[in-house]
Amino acid sequence: MGKIVQLPDELSNKIAAGEVVERPASVVKELLENSVDANSQWIKIELEEAGLRSIKIIDDGDGIDPDDCETAFFRHATSKIEDEFDLFRVKTLGFRGEALASISSVSQLTLRTSTGDQSGNELVVHGGDIKDKQKHTKRKGTEIIVENLFYNTPARLKYLKTIHTELGHVTDTINKMALSHPDIRFECYHNGKRIFFSPGNGNLLQVIQQIYGKKIAQNMLQLEDDSLDYKVSGYICKPEVTRSNRNFISLIVNGRFIKNPVINKAIFDGYHTFLPIGRYPIVILQIEMDPYLVDVNVHPAKTEVRFSKEKELFDVVKQSIYDVLHKQRLIPSGAKKEKPKSTQTTLSFDPMTRQDKTHDEKEQLEDIGHGFHIQESFTSHFDDADNHPVENGQKPPYPNDIGSESEELDEETERMPLMYPIGQLHGTYILAQNEKGLYMIDQHAAQERIKYEFFKKKLGDPPNEVQALSVPISFEFTGKEAIIIEEHKEAFERVGLFLEPFGDYSYIVRSYPSWFPNGEEEQIIRDMVEDLIQNRSIDIEKIREEAAILMSCKRSIKANHYLNHQEMEYLLSELRTCHDPFTCPHGRPIVIHFSEYELQRMFKRIM
Amino acid sequence: MKILIEREPLMASIQNVMKAISSKTTIPILSGIKFEANEQEVKLTGSNSDITIESVISREEDGIVNIHEIIPGQIVVQAKFLPEIIRKLPDNQIEIQVDDDMNINIRSGHAEFKLNGQDPEEYPQLPVLQTENSFDIQIDLLKMLIRQTNFAVSTSETRPILTGVHIKLDNNELGLVATDSHRLASRKITIDQVENLSFNNVVIPGKSLSELNKILEDTQDTLQISVTDNQILFRTKHLYFLSRLLDGNYPETSRLIPDQSKTVMKVNSKDLIQSIDRASLLAKDNRNNIVKLVTQGQQNIQITSHSPEIGQVEELLQTISIEGEEIKISFNAKYMIDALRAIDSEQVLINFTGAMRPFVIRPEEESEQILQLVTPVRTY
Repeated sequence: MGKIVQLPDELSNKIAAGEVVERPASVVKELLENSVDANSQWIKIELEEAGLRSIKIIDDGDGIDPDDCETAFFRHATSKIEDEFDLFRVKTLGFRGEALASISSVSQLTLRTSTGDQSGNELVVHGGDIKDKQKHTKRKGTEIIVENLFYNTPARLKYLKTIHTELGHVTDTINKMALSHPDIRFECYHNGKRIFFSPGNGNLLQVIQQIYGKKIAQNMLQLEDDSLDYKVSGYICKPEVTRSNRNFISLIVNGRFIKNPVINKAIFDGYHTFLPIGRYPIVILQIEMDPYLVDVNVHPAKTEVRFSKEKELFDVVKQSIYDVLHKQRLIPSGAKKEKPKSTQTTLSFDPMTRQDKTHDEKEQLEDIGHGFHIQESFTSHFDDADNHPVENGQKPPYPNDIGSESEELDEETERMPLMYPIGQLHGTYILAQNEKGLYMIDQHAAQERIKYEFFKKKLGDPPNEVQALSVPISFEFTGKEAIIIEEHKEAFERVGLFLEPFGDYSYIVRSYPSWFPNGEEEQIIRDMVEDLIQNRSIDIEKIREEAAILMSCKRSIKANHYLNHQEMEYLLSELRTCHDPFTCPHGRPIVIHFSEYELQRMFKRIM
Repeated sequence: MKILIEREPLMASIQNVMKAISSKTTIPILSGIKFEANEQEVKLTGSNSDITIESVISREEDGIVNIHEIIPGQIVVQAKFLPEIIRKLPDNQIEIQVDDDMNINIRSGHAEFKLNGQDPEEYPQLPVLQTENSFDIQIDLLKMLIRQTNFAVSTSETRPILTGVHIKLDNNELGLVATDSHRLASRKITIDQVENLSFNNVVIPGKSLSELNKILEDTQDTLQISVTDNQILFRTKHLYFLSRLLDGNYPETSRLIPDQSKTVMKVNSKDLIQSIDRASLLAKDNRNNIVKLVTQGQQNIQITSHSPEIGQVEELLQTISIEGEEIKISFNAKYMIDALRAIDSEQVLINFTGAMRPFVIRPEEESEQILQLVTPVRTY
C-alpha cells in the first residue's frame, strides 16, 4: 500500500497558518489588510491581553455579501484577484486568499458583517468548523472577533512571548498600517484603554506625531519627488534626530508596508555624511508605482517584494533625500524650539546680494502676520457618535503647530548665513553672531568639513600609476565568487587591478594601483571583491572617500586650540563656501543656533 | 629676489622659525615661511596664533661671510618641505631665486628645486612693537625661570588665563607664577638696571614659553624683553620672538600660599623623588596617580600606594627632621615629582598644614625665592 496520502483540509490549513499566523500581531495584520482592502474609513481594534485572549476588529468597509460568508473561509478563496493577469498587478494588500482560512483554523472566530443594503450575518467558526450561523443587524461593515488564538495548536502557543512583547508587536503592526494609510482612522484599545489613535484626515505628519511624538514630527522634512516610473513622497528626519537602529525606517510601496535592503541603502546613501556612525534616520517613505513593476508574491508575509527597475528606484530615493537635505538650513537649535507668533523681517546686510534685495522687500513685508496658521479642528470629522471619543474637555491630541517648520531656501540665498565671530569658548567652539542670534561652531568639525571637501576633490583624480610586485599576492575564492569576478574582470582592469587566473578558483595579482595605502593592499583588494559580490559594482569613490575622511580629521585643528579673531573669520568664511556646511564627515553637527527669540525666552525677557 | 647663502646659518634660521609654524592652521598662508631680503640681511618669519618668530641672517658677521649675494625681495615659501630640501642639498652654498610669478628656484650643486611661492602681500601684517618698557635678562637665567614654572600651567582651555605664566615686575623684583589650580609654581628674582619699570598682569601663554625655551641656547648672553598691552617681545641679536599675551585677569595667587604650618619636614630631595617615583609605578594606572605619605615618629616617613587590581607598594624613608604634628596625606605623584625637580636643591623643606590643605615645598636655603605648592588628594 502506498504511503503517500492527501492531507485533510483541516491539517493543510494549519500548516498554512504556520506561515501566515505566527503571533497575534500577524492576525491583526491580516485582518487590517482585509479592512483596508474593503475601503474602510475607520478601523477600530480592541485587544484583550495583547490579543491572546481576544482580538476584535471593527470597520465600516464594504462588508461581505451573505452568499460569500461561508466561502470566505475556504482556502485560496478571495475576492481580490481573479486570474493570473491580476496576480501580477496586485492593487490590494491581500490576494492569497489564505488569511481567514488560516486564522479560523487556529482560533475561535466570530464574523459579523453586512454590506449595508440587506440584513447582516453572524458566523461562528471554531478551529475551521462552522459552529453557528444567524442573521445580524445591518450596520455596514465587518466585525471580526478572534478568541483563544492557538487554542488547538499548543506548540505554537508555547512559543508566544510575554503579553508586553506581543502587545509591542501588535502596536508595531498598527503603527505601520496607520503610516501606510493616513486617510484611514485607526483606533486601538487594549484591555479597554486606548493606546493608539490616528486622525485619518490624510495628513501623514499627524500620524507621525501620534506614533513618534510631537518633537520628532516637528523635525521632519517633507519629501516629494517623482520619476518616470516612481512617485516618492513622505517625511525624513533632520540629521539632528537620529536613532540607534534602522527600525525607524518605514517603507510603503503602494500602501503596503515592506522591508527592502536596497531602498534602505539608498536612504543611507542619501544621508551620507549627515549621520554619525551607527545612527539611523527616521524615515517614512511612500512609493507609488505601477503594480506591474513590483512583485509581491515572494513570501506569505508579503513584507518582501521584488522591484523590476531596482536601480532606477535606488537612484530616485537617494537623489530625493539628498535634494531635500541639501535645500535645508540644517542648523540645529540650541534651545527648545518655540516659534514666535510673528516675526519682523529685517534688512539683510549681506554684501553679495545687496542689489536684488530691494524688490523682495515689499513681498517680505506683506508676509508679516501670515506666519501663524491655525489648523482647522478635526472634531468635525468625527461623526459616529457611539465609540469615539473626544473625551469631554480634552483637546484633540493634534497640535496645530507642527506644520513644516524648517526654512526652505531659494537657490540664491546661502544655506550658511553670514556670521561674525565674537570669540572662542574653551578653545573649542567659536561663538559668532548675526542679526538672527547666536551661533556656536565646533572648530574641529568645521575645519574637518572644509578639508574633507578639499581632499575628496583631490583624491577624485589620482594618478594612474601601478606598483608592480615581485612576489604576487594570490587570492582564493569560492566558485560563486570566481564566476562573478570573471564577469566583472573589466571593471577591475579599469581601476588598474589585473587579476590573472591561477588554478581553478585562484587568482594572482602582480601589481596594484599605487594610491592603495601601504600594507593594506591585500585587504583592499579583498574588500573590493566582496563589495563587488554584494553590489555588483566597484565603488572606488567610496574607498577613496574613506581615505579622505581620515586625512581631513588628522589634518584639522583640534579642540583646545586657541584661535585669534582673524583665524576665526577665515574659518567661518571658508565654511560658508562648503557644499555641505552643517555636518562633519562623521555626521556630527558643526553649527548650533540660538535665535534671538530663544535667547529672550531663556532670559524671560518675553514670556 | 635672489640670495646666495651658506647652508648652516640658513638651516639654523629655518629651524628656529619652524617652531612657530603649525601644520594645522586655519589660514593657509601661515603654513609658509616668509623670506625678506634687503641689502644687509635676510629675515625669515614664521607665525601662528600664539607666536611669531623672526630670525635674521646678516650678510657678514665676525668676519664670516654668510650670504654672498643679495638682490632684495620677498616671498612666502611652503614650510613643510623646506627643511628637508635644504638639509639634503648637495652643496654648502645655496642659491634661492624668485621670479615675478612667484616661482622659487632653489639651486645647489647640480640639484635644482622649483617650488611654488605664495604672495608675501597676503602674509598678515605683524605688529611693530614699541620697545620702551624693556629690561634685560641673561638667557640661561630666563631658561631656568621658564623651566621652574612653566610645567605648572594648565593645558586645558577651559580657563584660558591659567594656560599662561603670570609675570610681575615691581621694585626690581621679577616674579613668575604658574598654576593649573591643582599645583602652583612661583619664582622670584632680582634684576638690576630696571629704572622705574613695573608691570603686573602680564600672562604669557605656556606654549609660547616652552617654544622659546627650545629655541634659546644656554648662554650667558643677554636678551631684551619688551612688554606691551597684548604682546611680549624677546629679542636677541638674531632672533625676535613675539608672543601674544593672554586676555583677562590672572587670579590673585599670593593668598593661596599658607603662611604658617603644622608640620615641617626636611628631607633629601633626591631620595624623596626616587621613593615617590617607585610608588607611583603602581599608581599610574589610577586616574589621579595617588601616592600616600605618612609620618612615623620624628625621623621616618612611609610612602605607600596601592591599586586594587595590581597590588601595593610600601617604602620607608628616612628624613633629616620632622617637626610638629603627625600627618597622613595623599597627593598626585606627578605634581610632587615635578615640583621637587623644579626646585633642584639637595635638601627641601616641606610645610604641611593638615591633610586637607595644600602644602608648600621650598629649597633648604631660604634665600632662593622659589616655592612650589601642591594640593592634596582627598581620599575617603
